[in-house]
Amino acid sequence: MSARVVLESLPYLLRGTLVTVGLSLAVIALGTAAGLTLGVLRFVPWRGVGRGIGWAVEVVRAVPLLLLMFFIFFGLPAIGVGLPTLPAAVLAMSLWMMVNTAEVVRGGIQSIPTGQVEAARSLGLGWVPMMRHVIVPQAVRRMIPPFVGLCTILIKDTSLAAIIGVFELTRAAQETIERTLRSFEIYTVTAAIYFVICFPLTRLAQRAEARLARPS
Amino acid sequence: MTAGPTAYSFAWSAVWRGLPYLLQGAAFTVFVSALAMVVAVALGLVLAALTEVRGGLARPLVRAYVEVFRNTPLLIQIFIVYFGLPQLGWRLSPFLSGLSALVLYAAAYNAEIFRAGLEAVPRGQHEAARSIGLSELGALRFVIVPQAIRIAFPALGNNLVSLVKNSSLVSTIGMVELMFVANDIAFNNFRTFEIYGAAALLYVLLVLALTRALHLAERRMARAR
Repeated sequence: MSARVVLESLPYLLRGTLVTVGLSLAVIALGTAAGLTLGVLRFVPWRGVGRGIGWAVEVVRAVPLLLLMFFIFFGLPAIGVGLPTLPAAVLAMSLWMMVNTAEVVRGGIQSIPTGQVEAARSLGLGWVPMMRHVIVPQAVRRMIPPFVGLCTILIKDTSLAAIIGVFELTRAAQETIERTLRSFEIYTVTAAIYFVICFPLTRLAQRAEARLARPS
Repeated sequence: MTAGPTAYSFAWSAVWRGLPYLLQGAAFTVFVSALAMVVAVALGLVLAALTEVRGGLARPLVRAYVEVFRNTPLLIQIFIVYFGLPQLGWRLSPFLSGLSALVLYAAAYNAEIFRAGLEAVPRGQHEAARSIGLSELGALRFVIVPQAIRIAFPALGNNLVSLVKNSSLVSTIGMVELMFVANDIAFNNFRTFEIYGAAALLYVLLVLALTRALHLAERRMARAR
């Protein structure tokens, strides 16, 4: 064990941490916006469209994020779409975030009793105003706990970007280990940094869930 | 010749030639996931039971384990086992490193799932079991745990699906499963688009078959009640 090595490499690891946080925020913003849209569109009154979106979401969700990333970074250049490491990672992770958010949205909307739809319809509301004013506002409350959980998973999974060479926390750890050969200490500290970011979010999700369980 | 997307000629024969190797990788992905899940279910159950013990160190220790493994990246956990532990004189093969990392990660989630399942069984069930003369262990064994497992089943199924996808990460330390095989072929023949596409398709088939099977089992369980 070498505390000195850990202390000396801490600034470099924290630089990686900043990138991890920025990367996570960017992907969460992009993926959530797209995922919310896709998730709501799944319930459009045209049967075929909704079913098509459902299938697409299920298929993309079944592909591991690592493979999605490799397909975009190594596979797409073969057909002339070459992306540098960072955009490739952001694209792969945003796709992942999009389909998983869409799935959370589906669960939230389906948990709303059908009576709400019938009530909105009998008031003469069209599909868009019904979704906007009746269904989505109620569903959002139930989406919050699984959505926060999803964000935690995403933050942990940004570590995969290191494998295609994006500089973030995990890559910073790997580079530090190449210099110091102290893999046990450096990876443990790296894990601790991820923990400090993710644990409060997990707690937040648990608290939101407990609040939902209580009758309002 | 104009460059661009249309200039690319697909070589699906590369997929055809790589298919036996890819299928072998897929089979290994299934094997590793199943093995890891069986161990992780047993471990998760034990951990959840330990959190029921009031007083003593068991409860806080299990809580700490669960939180640490759920709130740190699986990739880092794999790297600690494979690259970190040898530094402490504990060297494991890629297979054992990958397997134990997957087990520890999945067990943390399973423990939490079982704990929630145990808590969801109404207290009256426990009292009823005791009042018909079952011992404390008998009540757990025959009344509480079977119901808890039924409640936990959907979440366990989701965790298994995650495990199949997460097993792709052990390719980074050299376990020869589907992701590793795809890399191996793609970096040899440079047909990256076709090979990664084929591997993705295999994962989709695997995961969809699994979710369908879990759905059926869930429905059967609900009917048997």
